[in-house]
Amino acid sequence: MKPILRISDLSTRFFTKSGQVNAVESLSMSIDDGEVFGIVGESGSGKSVTARSLIRLIESPGKITAGKIEYRNAEVADEIEDSNPEAVDGDYVDLAALPEDVVRSLRGPSFSMIFQDPESSFNPTLTVGEQIAEAVEVQRRASSNPRSVKSRTSSSAYSLRSYAYGTIMPNRSYVSSESKDRAVELLQQVGIPDPEERVDEYPHEYSGGMLQRAMIAQALAGEPDILVADEPTTALDVTIQAQVLNLLRDIQEETGMTILLITHNLGVIARMCDRVGVMYAGEIVERGTLSNIFDEAVHPYTKGLLGSIPDIGSAGGRLQPIEGNVPSLMDEEMGNRCYFADRCPKAMKTCLEKPADLSVDGAKEHEVQCVLAKEEYDESDALDPGQFEGEDS
Amino acid sequence: MSLKDTLRSAQPESSGPLVEVRNLEKHFYDNDNIIDRLLGNGPVSIRAVDGISFNIHRGETLGLVGESGCGKSTTGETVLRLQEATDGSVQFRGDRVFEMNGDDLSEFRRNAQVVFQDPYTSLDPRVPVGQTVREALDIHNIGTKTERNERVRDLLERVGLSEDQFDRYPSEFSGGQRQRIGIARALALNPDFLVLDEPTSALDVSVQAQILNLLADLQEEFELTYLLISHDLSVIRHICDRVAVMYLGEIAEIADVDTLFESPKHPYTKALLESVPRAETAERDRDIETLQGDVPSPRNPPSGCRFRTRCPEVISPNSMDIDQHVYRELMHFRELVENEEISVHKIAQDAGISESATELDSREQKAFVETVKDEVLDIELPSSHESTVNDAIAHLVDEEWERAATELRSEYESICETSNPQLTDDEQPVACHLYK
Repeated sequence: MKPILRISDLSTRFFTKSGQVNAVESLSMSIDDGEVFGIVGESGSGKSVTARSLIRLIESPGKITAGKIEYRNAEVADEIEDSNPEAVDGDYVDLAALPEDVVRSLRGPSFSMIFQDPESSFNPTLTVGEQIAEAVEVQRRASSNPRSVKSRTSSSAYSLRSYAYGTIMPNRSYVSSESKDRAVELLQQVGIPDPEERVDEYPHEYSGGMLQRAMIAQALAGEPDILVADEPTTALDVTIQAQVLNLLRDIQEETGMTILLITHNLGVIARMCDRVGVMYAGEIVERGTLSNIFDEAVHPYTKGLLGSIPDIGSAGGRLQPIEGNVPSLMDEEMGNRCYFADRCPKAMKTCLEKPADLSVDGAKEHEVQCVLAKEEYDESDALDPGQFEGEDS
Repeated sequence: MSLKDTLRSAQPESSGPLVEVRNLEKHFYDNDNIIDRLLGNGPVSIRAVDGISFNIHRGETLGLVGESGCGKSTTGETVLRLQEATDGSVQFRGDRVFEMNGDDLSEFRRNAQVVFQDPYTSLDPRVPVGQTVREALDIHNIGTKTERNERVRDLLERVGLSEDQFDRYPSEFSGGQRQRIGIARALALNPDFLVLDEPTSALDVSVQAQILNLLADLQEEFELTYLLISHDLSVIRHICDRVAVMYLGEIAEIADVDTLFESPKHPYTKALLESVPRAETAERDRDIETLQGDVPSPRNPPSGCRFRTRCPEVISPNSMDIDQHVYRELMHFRELVENEEISVHKIAQDAGISESATELDSREQKAFVETVKDEVLDIELPSSHESTVNDAIAHLVDEEWERAATELRSEYESICETSNPQLTDDEQPVACHLYK
């Protein structure tokens, strides 16, 4: 089957005052329909920027500078073909080439996203129910007039006039009662107890775990094909994390939607994902099935990451940390080499050149950006440890 | 006498635990300002720490683990007297910490130090790191300035930085390096006892591993005693000798680390351990029994055992013949009734009862009862318990919450709600009615 999402050579850069930051660098991957694909990496590895790039949520000074984000949906492709022929390729639509208003119309029914921090993702001055119902309402209005992309976006509900009316007459509500009922249903679906009452409460009346559930409900409002979950459980306690992960799994099984899960927690990856990509310095350095990554890892970074987690199953012993720090991703410091070479215990002279994506033992899904996939580590070729001195610090 | 000797001679030897905490309480008060008083609102107490006792022995690492809001950080701060305790006592080497003043107190401050969670906010951005590390030496007026600077350079080297970073500012360091500076600062006075308050939770795993290794090395080299506060069970497992599990201001269980992780007794400890996702391929197929609901508010903690509202092993009355999961569900249902958290109007609507109806006939009454059970209870009730529950629900029609609650309580009240279990007095102290 053809993948639902095909990303090729995606680069996202930030043009800051202190220089250009290459947050995502020529990243390619594909995600199958109905799978849970995980991206794991440390802070600053570019995993969140990747997620946001996919649904075009990159704001200035950031910019997607190259690459294609192709999303398979025959209906959408059909609809868009007339207005934007250059973005359509068969069933696929290239999101990177679409104008903003069209992308906006896809957020909801095609993509939606849940964020890390539920407390700051809700508007504290509106009830949780209103905010979910609003998401439903947008979809409802859109589907009542599906032909026109415009009707979905330039809705008068967001105009200055309606804002003014809303301020003068607070009872004049944007959402219809059907949308409100649907919000209750959604809250029920994500396991909020007593949703009829809870729907009228404000975010501060919810606990962190319940707000995260509410955010999932909001994301489900448009029945999206692809859900992007950016660190969905990082702000939660373990017992609540277990609840939310179980909920996501159940919803995924029920609806069959595709989930792209971004996290730094390898345990969460192991619990949720079918396939995993390990990100380092803006690139996916190794990808494969769960067992490829957890049991047959090739890249020294993947191994280092696994070696640094304290094992809950046994006490004591020394951890095997990765020496050094995550690189800064500033353009002028990057150079054209394997970015991990300066921290890699098995760096060789060949690592001063950029490694290609290599498949491991001919396995189709297991790919790694490291020369160790095809040659043994040879100590006589080892990189001089002083090679990168003076570059950092 | 060199600076090192000055610092070392400050440690007399004595036997017994290094730190003894007895019935420590710390309550915070809300609504406690003058306007609230004028309006006649009484202060609301938040029982962050509510009567906990434990010992920390010389050279060991005691872990304090629990979810956010359980009072573990407050415990650490109160033990160090960074917060004034509401009640209880802490003894450090046999001396009462809360009664110290003057020289005794400053001696205690020298010997008990802290490393904070967030290395980004716990260092002054305008002070060079060397000066930050030296500050404690300056305050306690130890050695000459050259000696102090010498010691700071030593410490920086010791924690894995280089001595020529003395004059740099915090912004020039990464998170892991800043945490190393925080550790160097805590070590400056050569303390015996360190409170580590989530020392690695702001760090990435690869950096976390570096810091954990460093802490282990330092402990060996300087014979330190640690109180490690963390929510991360794998970190706890990795470096602690003994562990205390906290829930809502109380200690649920204390045991040495292997016992706790391999044969936990308290249902909360079990649930906590089970909830942690493990980084291995078998994780995907592991069945996790998740706990229901959220941690209750410490403003209004549950009566009896504080964990009873979520406990999967809550104890049914002695004579009762009831399945555990049915009982758990009924307890949950009671909770809803007692807090009046069932939307009866909505349910009445669903049951097809018009709002204007004042007297319900028996058919409508039955429909209402069935709808409540349908929407609120997740299970089929066995026939032996149906009538009690049905009767109670019938009271809800007239919104007689009190009556429904009383009826249910008289039938299903658990020992877990009437009495608060104390820690048992054996090898593996646990506060749970199952172990008595």
